[in-house]
Amino acid sequence: MEQKEEVLAVEAVTGEQRKAIAEAGILGRIIDRVGLAFALCFLISMSILILEIFMRYVLNSPTLWAHETTIFLCAIAFIYGGVYCAAHDRHIRVVLIYDMVGPKMRRMLDVIISLVCFFSATFFAYASWLMVARSVWSPDGAIRLERTGSAWNPPYPALLKLFMLAMLLVLAVQFIILAYNYARKPQR
Amino acid sequence: MLELSALGIEYGTLVMFAMLLGMLLTGMPLAFVTLFVALFFALGWFGPMAVPLITSRVYSFVSSFVFVSVPMFVLMAAILDRSGIARDLFDAMRLIGGRLRGGVAIQTIFVAVILAAMSGIIGGEIVLLGLIALPQMLRLGYDRNLAIGVVCAGGALGTMVPPSIVLIIYGLTANVSIGDLFTSAFVPGLMLAGFYVAYVLIRSYLNPAIAPIPEEDEGSYRERLKLLKGLILPVMVVIFVLGSIYGGIASVTEASAVGVAGVILSTAIRRELSIELLKGAVLQTLATCGMIVWIGIGASALVGVFNLMGGINFVSALITGISENPTIVLLFMMLILFVLGMFLDWVGIALLTMPIFVPIIVELGYDPVWFGVLFCMNMQVSFLSPPFGPAAFYLKSVAPPEISLGDIFKSLLPFIALQILAVAILIAFPGITGR
Repeated sequence: MEQKEEVLAVEAVTGEQRKAIAEAGILGRIIDRVGLAFALCFLISMSILILEIFMRYVLNSPTLWAHETTIFLCAIAFIYGGVYCAAHDRHIRVVLIYDMVGPKMRRMLDVIISLVCFFSATFFAYASWLMVARSVWSPDGAIRLERTGSAWNPPYPALLKLFMLAMLLVLAVQFIILAYNYARKPQR
Repeated sequence: MLELSALGIEYGTLVMFAMLLGMLLTGMPLAFVTLFVALFFALGWFGPMAVPLITSRVYSFVSSFVFVSVPMFVLMAAILDRSGIARDLFDAMRLIGGRLRGGVAIQTIFVAVILAAMSGIIGGEIVLLGLIALPQMLRLGYDRNLAIGVVCAGGALGTMVPPSIVLIIYGLTANVSIGDLFTSAFVPGLMLAGFYVAYVLIRSYLNPAIAPIPEEDEGSYRERLKLLKGLILPVMVVIFVLGSIYGGIASVTEASAVGVAGVILSTAIRRELSIELLKGAVLQTLATCGMIVWIGIGASALVGVFNLMGGINFVSALITGISENPTIVLLFMMLILFVLGMFLDWVGIALLTMPIFVPIIVELGYDPVWFGVLFCMNMQVSFLSPPFGPAAFYLKSVAPPEISLGDIFKSLLPFIALQILAVAILIAFPGITGR
């Protein structure tokens, strides 16, 4: 059927339905699988926004929680999306020189790139640790989650910051695995 | 610890640019290059106490309500691209092209505009037009270059006609109303599409050989009326989304959710809705947004550090220092955007340069909303311009194998010229944006 072919072509070009790259290892496959759960956050957010419009215009009673919840859902999906792209090698890069060099040099570049990305991620994990430390514990050491400060006042900021830290750690591990597999593999 | 601040802002800026460029050229992802350089300078220039400042910038970047509209518009396009809506739209639009010379090319541009008014990204549209419209034009004996150019340039309109992700990202970095941007971009977007139509008409009437009139019969009234049905759903969705934004009924973010619901409903009515379709669409959205947001994370960290170093003031002074005449400063900025557009993705350009450019624009007395439309128009060029015009790569992947990337870029040159003309007109007559 024509329709089916078009969908396949669109997916091939936009890179969808493609598995995580082999070099990403088992972690890459897990990231790939879990991706769907976070991708669904977008559909849930959409439903919440529609519900909010309905509540406001039809029932005349806007919700307190819709805005903050959609922001939170989308934010965790955004952050996870970066990890997902890393496992799929879909982050945007300039391949001007990368495409010109031979396979040997390219492999070396792959290793170096993954290592530098590992440093970036670890570095940033440390930075977000500093942020988490301030939003989860009060100065006297008791646990006190940072809240949005709105009328509903959910602890989303603290949760989001924790999630960011966790994902940066996963990202760091992913890049180490990538570097190791690129270095180990004789030819791609 | 390194004492980078001893370099002074002049050499500091130079070292930062050299580092960015050097790392980018190795093929390292833009998002991680900017993150690395940002943290390197934060630690080296200021020491550890500056680090929380960066992370808090990143946090506020990720958690903004307007940004929620980005995944919505991406999702909308992703579902649209997987449905048969575009093909039916193309068939319905045959009535507009009719027996006009260059009719199929014009039909393609009209379809592209309607698709653009439903989605805010490019990629899927170019692929679809490449699959639906290109073979049709080639079969009818249209000039190959004209056919390729129309598909790429038309498909790239996705980010010029509202809703547009480029305008949303610009609005976020420049701190201007997205609704205003959408209102102002409407006429310029149609103007650009109008240029394409005019170009096709002029070329095909001057040289009838490049666009033969099809010999096939038109079909009965009843059949033609049936084709029109393909137009109903898309137009409804466009009216719902743009109507609720322009009419002030819903915020841009809410309107984007309405758009997604509209497209899902349309596919359901067409009996195309399936778990597979939704799954593919949300995963594409996850990857696309992950890409955009992480470039944003890196860029907002980098811009934060650079600003703290006094770099933004320094670069502004450099740019405004080139001339007393604001128009020349403006043209110089356009040139920078144009050159960057040849190598970098628009997300990176918007997030890295706009924090520097927009304050200059405001200081020179220009309107930042108008500048956003201008920026968007400029990015149209970047989609087509070699060596890395993404539109060309998208089309290459679905075009017949005998069409090379070189052929595609050659076909795009006249359309790039039209886009530059549109940029020039926007500068000469800012009134087109209604501001």
